[in-house]
Amino acid sequence: MTPPLPPDWKCPRRVGFLFPHACLRTTPVGCPDCQNGQIDDPYYARTDRYGYSRYGYYDDDYFFDYGPSYGIGIGTPDAGSMDFTEADGADLVQPGDQFENDMTES
Amino acid sequence: MWLIYALGGGWGHLTRAIALARVAQRDRPVRILTNSPYARVAAGAVDLRVLDPCEPPEQTRRDVTRAIAECRPACLIVDTFPRGIGGELADILDTLPARKVLVHRDLNPRYVAAVSVRQFVAAHYDLVLVPGAGEGSQLGDLPVAVETGSWLVRSADEIPDRGRVRTLLRMAPHEEHCVLVCASGKPDELEWYGAVVDELRQLGAGVPVRCVAAARPARCPEESWVPYWPAMDLFGCASAIVGGAGYNTVAECLAWEVPLVARAWPRAYDRQALRARSARGRVTLVEEPEEAARSVLALMEDRPHRVPSFVNGAVEAVARIRF
Repeated sequence: MTPPLPPDWKCPRRVGFLFPHACLRTTPVGCPDCQNGQIDDPYYARTDRYGYSRYGYYDDDYFFDYGPSYGIGIGTPDAGSMDFTEADGADLVQPGDQFENDMTES
Repeated sequence: MWLIYALGGGWGHLTRAIALARVAQRDRPVRILTNSPYARVAAGAVDLRVLDPCEPPEQTRRDVTRAIAECRPACLIVDTFPRGIGGELADILDTLPARKVLVHRDLNPRYVAAVSVRQFVAAHYDLVLVPGAGEGSQLGDLPVAVETGSWLVRSADEIPDRGRVRTLLRMAPHEEHCVLVCASGKPDELEWYGAVVDELRQLGAGVPVRCVAAARPARCPEESWVPYWPAMDLFGCASAIVGGAGYNTVAECLAWEVPLVARAWPRAYDRQALRARSARGRVTLVEEPEEAARSVLALMEDRPHRVPSFVNGAVEAVARIRF
C-alpha cells in the first residue's frame, strides 16, 4: 500500500528511453515506469533499449510527419539538412535541470 | 494602462514587446518592463521601465513585483514566461486585478514539464497569443489560445524609403545591395558575427558587407559597422542576411522574403534550431564563421527593388487583447 503523499509531491525517479529525465508524476500508483514504486531507477532498469542499433537513422517518413514546412523532399536542398547542432544539444534532457534561476536567459 | 512584462536577455523579448506596444499605445498608455541590456538603444520609442540585468535574481524578482504593484495595470501582458523568468509571477497573478495575457513564443518542453506550465497557464491566463505559426507548440492548443501573424517592430508603411536606407548603410552609388550581418543575441556572441564580417571581406571579392549591431564586434572594421535599430528597416537593401535564429530575425527575414544564413544559438528556453528548420526553406543553418560567409555568398539574390508589403501580426494581437 502506498503511504499518503504530500499534496505537492512529485516523483523524483529517473525515467526515459534515450535520455534520463525526472518523472514528476504526482503518484506512483499505476505508474508503468516504476510499477507502483517497486523500481527505484526506472531509467537504469529499462532493458528494451539494448539490441537496437539504428538510433541515428531516420527514414523520410519521420520527417514528413512534421509536415511540409520542414522543407524536406520539396526541392529545397538547403532546408534538407537534418544535422544536429549545438542548439539541439541544449534541448536534450539533463537530470537536475534548473530553470527560473537566470534572469538574462531567453 | 497595459503593462508588458518582457524580461529576458538579448533583443528578442524587448523587440517583440515594442512591436506590440507601438500599435497598442495609439489608444492607451503602455509600459514595458525589461532587463534587456539593449534597452537604452530602444529608449524613446515607448515607455520603458528598465531593470539592471546585472543585479542578483532575488533583487530582480522584488523589483518586478514592485513595478507591477506601482503600475496597477488594467492588462498585464507577459512575454514567453508565464510564471515570470524567475518564477516571480507565480504568487501574484491570482490576486492581481488585471486581464492576463500570455505571449507564447516557443518554449523548451522540458521547462514546460518541469514547472507544470500548461496547468499554470490554464488556471491563470485569460488569453494566450501565439505570435506566428510554429511558435505555439506547447500551449497553442489551449482553449484560450489564438494564433496571429508574426509580430514585427515595423509595419510595412513605416519602412524608410530606399534612399534613406542607402544613406544609413553608407552605400556607394554603384552598390545596389549588400550582405547584412545582424549581430544580436548575447554580448558574448558578438565575436562570432565579427568573424563572419572578416571572412566575408576576405572571400567576398568586393561584395559590400555591413554589420548592424548596438556595439561594434571585434574584427568588424569601423566602415562596416552600422549602429542602427531596428535592423529590419534596412532589409530592403540586403541581398542576404547573416544572423541568429531567434524569433525576430527569422520573422523579419520571412516578412522581407530575404534569405537568412543563421547560427542557432543554444538557449535555455528557446529552440532556435527548430525555428530555423521550420522556416519554409528560407533559413540555412551554419556553425562556423567561414561556413556562414560561404553560404551567404552562394545565396545572395540579385533582388529587384522590393516594396514592403508584409502584414504585422501585432495589429491583430492588439485587437484580440482589447476584447
